[in-house]
Amino acid sequence: MVTQDNVIEIRNLSKVYRDFWGRKKVEAVKSLSLDVKRGEVFGLLGPNGSGKTTTIKMLLGLLFPTSGEIRILGRSAADVEKNERIGYLPEESYLYRFLNADETLDFYGQLFRISSAERAERADRLIKLVGLESARRRQLKEYSKGMTRRIGLAQALINNPDLVLLDEPTSGLDPIGTREMKDMILRLRDEGKTVVLCSHQLADVQDVSDRIAVLFQGELKVLGEVDQLLELRNETEIRTGHLSEEAIAEVQAVLEKHSAGSSTFRRPRADLEQLFLRTVRESGERPGRRFTAEEMAATQPSGGDESTSDTAGTAETTVEKSDS
Amino acid sequence: MEFDPQPFNVTFGLLKWGAVTGAITVLALVVGLVASLLSGTSGRILFFRGLSSYVRDIAAVSSGRILAVARLTLKESLRRKALAIFVVFAILLMFAGWFLTSANQQEALQVSVHISFLLTAISWLILPAVMFLACWSIPEDIRVRSLHTVVTKPIRRIEVVLGRIVGFGVVVVVVVVVMGVAGYIWIQRQVPESARDQLTCRVPVYGFLYFKDRTGATARTGVNTGDIWAFRSYIEGNSPARAIWLFDGITPEVLGDQINLESRFEAFRTIKGTAESVELGVEGQYILVNDRREDAFAAFCFSATFRPFCDELRDGQFQNAAVSLREQADATGELTNRECVTFATAAVVARDELNRLSSQVSDELRTSFTAAAAAFEDAAEAAEAVENDDDTAGLENLAGPMRALADSLAEHGDDLLEEMPRLEVALPSFHVTEYHEGQDRYEIPRELTYTGNYEALARFLAEVTAEWNEAGRLIKDNALAADLSNQLASETEMSVLNTELLVEVLQEEIDAGELTVNGNSLSVANGRRWLSYFDQLVRAEKLIPQDPEGWVLKADLYDDLVFDDTLRIEVACLNHQLFIGMARPDLFVKMPDRPFWVGYSKALFSTVLMLLLVVVIGVTASCVVKGPVAFFLTFSVFIIGQTFHSFMIDIVTGNVEGGGMLESVTLILQQRNPSTGMDASELTQTIIHGADTVTRLGLAVASQIVPNFSVFSDATAYVENGFDVRWSFSVLPAIATFFGFLIPCVLLGAAFLKFRELEAK
Repeated sequence: MVTQDNVIEIRNLSKVYRDFWGRKKVEAVKSLSLDVKRGEVFGLLGPNGSGKTTTIKMLLGLLFPTSGEIRILGRSAADVEKNERIGYLPEESYLYRFLNADETLDFYGQLFRISSAERAERADRLIKLVGLESARRRQLKEYSKGMTRRIGLAQALINNPDLVLLDEPTSGLDPIGTREMKDMILRLRDEGKTVVLCSHQLADVQDVSDRIAVLFQGELKVLGEVDQLLELRNETEIRTGHLSEEAIAEVQAVLEKHSAGSSTFRRPRADLEQLFLRTVRESGERPGRRFTAEEMAATQPSGGDESTSDTAGTAETTVEKSDS
Repeated sequence: MEFDPQPFNVTFGLLKWGAVTGAITVLALVVGLVASLLSGTSGRILFFRGLSSYVRDIAAVSSGRILAVARLTLKESLRRKALAIFVVFAILLMFAGWFLTSANQQEALQVSVHISFLLTAISWLILPAVMFLACWSIPEDIRVRSLHTVVTKPIRRIEVVLGRIVGFGVVVVVVVVVMGVAGYIWIQRQVPESARDQLTCRVPVYGFLYFKDRTGATARTGVNTGDIWAFRSYIEGNSPARAIWLFDGITPEVLGDQINLESRFEAFRTIKGTAESVELGVEGQYILVNDRREDAFAAFCFSATFRPFCDELRDGQFQNAAVSLREQADATGELTNRECVTFATAAVVARDELNRLSSQVSDELRTSFTAAAAAFEDAAEAAEAVENDDDTAGLENLAGPMRALADSLAEHGDDLLEEMPRLEVALPSFHVTEYHEGQDRYEIPRELTYTGNYEALARFLAEVTAEWNEAGRLIKDNALAADLSNQLASETEMSVLNTELLVEVLQEEIDAGELTVNGNSLSVANGRRWLSYFDQLVRAEKLIPQDPEGWVLKADLYDDLVFDDTLRIEVACLNHQLFIGMARPDLFVKMPDRPFWVGYSKALFSTVLMLLLVVVIGVTASCVVKGPVAFFLTFSVFIIGQTFHSFMIDIVTGNVEGGGMLESVTLILQQRNPSTGMDASELTQTIIHGADTVTRLGLAVASQIVPNFSVFSDATAYVENGFDVRWSFSVLPAIATFFGFLIPCVLLGAAFLKFRELEAK
C-alpha cells in the first residue's frame, strides 16, 4: 500500500533473465519487498550478482519486472513522468564523451525543459559544487575517472531531484572526493531529499545510511536501520575523555552505583563490513532464510572478525562523554 | 530518354497508405494481443498498459526534448568529423573536369554529363556516411550505455527516435545545401562556353494519351508493331486511327500567343512508302479538336448495337439519333445484358456531362440541357434494372424511357447542338524520320486559319448571319441588301466568291419559303435556330465553295479550341501502310523555359528527401538490431527499393511474362520461352503455380513495405535531360513516399525502443 512517507515501494518484485529461446537463465531478484522512506539515506548492499543493480534498473524502467509491483514517487516505474523528480548517477557515469561539462549539463537540463537561463545558472552552481570549474570546457573523454564521477553527480542533480539514486557513488574517487561525496549525500538528506545508494564501499554506506537492505542471490536477507542492525546488545560501551587511573577507579566505583551524569551510555558497534560478511556467510549456510535485525544483533560478536569472536559476551563498557 | 512522368494522385496515395499501414497496425496489435493472452492475465494487463503508455507517449511528445537530442546528434556528427566528406567532394570536383569534358559531344550531352556527375557524386558521397551515422548512433548509445542515462530523464523513447532523425536530417540538409551551392558554381564554370545556353530547364506539360483505332473506336493503346517490350504504340496511316492527347492548364496567361509543341515520334514502315516519305519521313498531322459531344456520347460506341445512335450523337445529328434510338426501343427484346450495362454506363456519362455543361450555358438553353440529362438518367436507371437481372427481365420497362429519351433529344437537339460544338482544325503536316536524335518542335499560333468542315462552316455562317440580321444589315426594303456580297467580303474573312455563293443561296431559300423576310429582318421559316438551319444547308451541299481554296475560316486557339483550360491534340498518320509510334511523354506542350537552378534545386530537394528516408530507415532499424545489422538492412532496403521496386510490382501484377519464380526457373531449365509455357503435367503445373502464388503474395507484401527509392531520382533524371517538370510529377511523389514511410517508421522505432530492455542480458 502506498503511503505518503514512502518514496519507493516494492512489492513481491521478481526478475527472471531468459535466453533467446525463452528458457530461464537466472532469477536475479526473488519476491523482493521493501520501502524507502521520504528523507532517508537508504543503502542497498549485496555481493556481486545479488540483484541490487537489477533492482535499481527496474526502479528506473531500464528493465521490466517479471512480476511484482514498483511504486516510485507514487507512480509506476514505467511512467516517464516520475523521472522529473529523480536524479540518477549510474555506476560508470555513462555520459556523452564528446561533450564538455557545460554541454553535458545543458543537454540534460534541456530534457527537463528547464529554461536556458536557469540551466546556465544551475550548471555554474553544480560545476562549482563538484569542483570542475577548471575543466568545464574540456570534453569528457579527457576526464579522469574521478572527474567523470563528479560530472555524473552534477548531471544527476541538474533537476534538483526529490529522489537521488546513486550507483557506486564513491567508486573511482580519491579519499577527499569520497569524503566530499559523503558530505554531499548527507547534505542532500538534510535538504529533505531521499537518497538510495548502492555500493561495495561498506564503510561509506555505513557512514551515510539511515537504513540498509542486504540482498543475496536476489533475496532480501536483511533490512533495517543501520544503528539497530549494528548494535551489540550484549555489551555496553562507555567512552570519555582522558582520565587518570584514579579517576577511572572513581568512575568505575560510581558506575557501580549510579548512571553516569552527563556522560552518555550506549552499546558499542561492530562495523558494517562484519555484518555484511556474516550475512553472506549465514545465507550460504542457511539458504532460504531471512534474518531479522534482532537476530543479527543478538549474535553479533564483539570483535571485528571471527578471530576475536571468543571475546563475545565479555562485559566491556565504554563511557562516552562530551568534553563540553 | 524514355521516362514517363505521371502526376501523383494524392487521394489514391492516401487511401493506399491508410490501407497498408492500417493492415500492418492491426496485424501487429493482434499478434501482440494473442501473445499477451497466451502469457496469462498479467500478460494481458501488461499489453494494455503498454499500449496505453505508448499512446500517451505519442500524445505527450515535446519539441524541446526532440530538439535537445537533435542538437546532441548534430554535435556528435560534427565532432566525429562527418563533414570530412566535403574534402572528398572538393577533390572530386577539382579533378572531374579532366574526364568529363569532350569537345566531340553534343552541347546538350556535355551539360547532361556534368549535371549527372554532380548529382550522383552528392548522393553517393553522403549516402554511406549518413547511413553509417544513422545505423550506428542508437546501438552505440546502448552499447556504451549513454542512452541509459538519457532515458532516466523525463524523455520518451519516441523523442529519442525523432531527435536522432531530426539531428541527422539537419546534417543531411546542411551537407546537401553546401555541396549543392558549390556544385552549382562548379557547373556554371565547368560547362564549356558553347554549351552554356543549354543550362536551362524546358518546362513540359504532359498530357493524357489515348487512341482511336482504324475504325475510329476509342482504344487504350495503338498498334503493336511486333516488339513486345515496345514503349510506344503506333497509329496506322491513312485511316481514322488517331493518337489523342489531352493537355491541361492551357491558358493564354501562361503560354502567351503561341503554343510550342515538342515531340519525339517514331516511324514504322510495312512498305518502303513513296519517294517523298523515304526522303522526308512519314507524314503526320496535328489536329486540334474541341469536341463537347465526344466526351458526352462516345461511351455509347462501346456497344455495336448502339453504334449508329452514338455516331449520330457525335455528329450532332440529334434528330437522326432520336430516330435511331426509337428503333432500338422497338427492339429492346433483342438486347443482351451486356448491352444494357454499356447503355446504362454511357447514359450516366452523358447525364453527368450534360449536367456539367448546363451550369455553363445561358439560362435559355439550361432547361434543355437539364431536361435531356434527366431523360438520360431515367434511361440509365431502366437499363441498370435490366443489368441486375440475369435473365434480362425488365427489358420491357426499358423501351419507355428510351423512347422518352429519343423524344427529349428530338425536342432539345437544336439547343444541345448550340453549346456542344465539335471543331476540328487540321494544322500543316510534319514529317517523322527514323533514327533521329533530339526533339522535333512545332509552333501553333493563337490565330489559326483553316479550311472549315461542315459544322465549322455552319457555325461560322450562322454566327455571321445572326449578327448581320440583328444589326439590320441583311435585309433592306424587304429584300436582301443590295451590296450584301461585297460588304460581307470586306468585313468578314470570306472571299468574294464565297459571299456571292452565300447571297445566292439565301435568295434561293427566301424564294423557296425556307427563310422569311419580316421588315428588316430575316428568320428561318419553321422557327429553328440559325445553326441547325445552316447545318442542314451545308450537309445538303448547297454551299459547295466557288473559291478553289474552299471556305477558309479563322479560329482563336484559346477561345474556340481550348475548353476548361484543356486542349485536345490528335495526331494522324497520313501515309498509307506507314505508321507513327508514340508514348505519352513523346508529345508535350513546352512552357516558357525556366532558369537551370529551378530544376536543379528540385533535384537537390529530392536527393535530400531520399537521404532523409535512408536516415529514417537506418534509425528505425537501429532501434531493433545492432549497428552492423541495421546498416546491412538499410543498405539492402535502399538497393532493392532503388533498383528492383518496379520489377517487384511488375511481377506481382503479372506484367512480366514467364510466370512466377518457380515457373521461370522451370522454363529456363527446360529451355523454353515464356509464350510456350512449361512442359509439365497438369498436377505439376498446378503445384508450381500454387507455389508461385504464395511467393507472389510475399513479394506483394514486400513491395508495400520497401519504399520505391527510384521516385527520388526522377527529378534528377529530368534536370539531367534539361527538363523541369511540374512538382506534382517530380517532387510530390518523393514527398509522399518520404512522409508515407516516416510516420510508420518513427512509430515502429519508438515501439521497439520502448518495449525493449536496454539492460537485457
